[in-house]
Amino acid sequence: MSDEGKDPASGQEHGEPGADSDTGRQEAHGEPEPTDARTERAEAADETGQRLAGQANLVGEMKALRRRARAARHAYWFPLVLFGLLTCAAVPFYILPGYQAGSVGATQSGPPLPILGGFPGVVTQRYLGYYWLAALLAGLLLTLLWYRRNARRVGLQTPARGYVTTIAVLTVLALVIPLLSQVRSPQWLSWLWYLHVLWPGDLVLRGTFPFVIIAVGLWVLARAERSRALAVIAAVYTATALLSSLYNTENILFRLGWTPSGTDWSLTSLPNVLLPALVLLATGTGAFAVQRRHRTRA
Amino acid sequence: MTAAEDPQPRQASHGHPTNGIDETVHQRHRLGILTVTAEAQRAEFGYLREALDLTPGNLSKHLTVLEEAGMVEVEKGYTGRRPRTWVRITARGRAALAAELAALTELLRQHRAAHRT
Repeated sequence: MSDEGKDPASGQEHGEPGADSDTGRQEAHGEPEPTDARTERAEAADETGQRLAGQANLVGEMKALRRRARAARHAYWFPLVLFGLLTCAAVPFYILPGYQAGSVGATQSGPPLPILGGFPGVVTQRYLGYYWLAALLAGLLLTLLWYRRNARRVGLQTPARGYVTTIAVLTVLALVIPLLSQVRSPQWLSWLWYLHVLWPGDLVLRGTFPFVIIAVGLWVLARAERSRALAVIAAVYTATALLSSLYNTENILFRLGWTPSGTDWSLTSLPNVLLPALVLLATGTGAFAVQRRHRTRA
Repeated sequence: MTAAEDPQPRQASHGHPTNGIDETVHQRHRLGILTVTAEAQRAEFGYLREALDLTPGNLSKHLTVLEEAGMVEVEKGYTGRRPRTWVRITARGRAALAAELAALTELLRQHRAAHRT
């Protein structure tokens, strides 16, 4: 784009796109036109053609500008890798030191944050809920700081507020719904009992509901980033998060030949955790490579 | 009625597509500014200058035109000690950009259709 500061629109007439198309038709039915008139018509047609070519070029330029701006501000590799690492760091909370083969559900008494930490009596540790509460909030804060830093560096700011708000609201709801839905007194607060309809059902059983929160956040982020690639990643991650929340993924490994023995039984819930972590880390690393290559090229 | 008071920019949907072309937006650099700012929450002055290959003075002039038309908002601030100018597109700017691109696309479509027949 040149820096002439001219205004191509000012002083120009916007020609009818099809105005020159009947040039030859009049000639065919009437007297032959004088050479000057034909030249004028040809010049007018040429001018219209040039103007339209310029406008086609303008549309093309705007598309290219938009593409470059969108690619320049993409920075979603960081939250993917961050939440992948935070998921990996949660692994110790899913290993059950007191677990004995054949005694399914023999865990510590119910986690205090059941939506984040798993349903009482199912294979999770007591402090898993606290871990995820801290991890989700820390992840949000770091993501927010990351996008601010990226905006200063690149010069384009991604609207990350929706992403942060979504995860924060879901986390707070996960925190307060179990508490408020148990309130029975005073009488005037007993309506809070109806909050139990918001309980996300079986999704909380395995202590993997934080993956669902992260998945919802990724959809919001894909919209903010206007990235189809991130939407695909969000779809894959959502499928993985739902699988991990509703199914014992280790069954697949059993069928593939993994037969846990002795202390291995305490690791059987790890595939449910490591699969979503793997998806986040693999796609985050890929996105990092793509975004870095784009910056180097730009 | 001033540009800022006018609730909606001209729409491309009435009559010939050129009716949707707004002279404020049709200028390629101003159209570029709106295109880039529509892609982000805010765009920094330096990014716009580089992306559009404009001098600071020239970019400022175009921004002033767009700001007076109510199509962008200019925010000045600091990052540490470094002054920064951020440009944010308004709802009016977004509508004007959409109308302009729709008009241009329709114009080209009609031209191609006329050539085919």
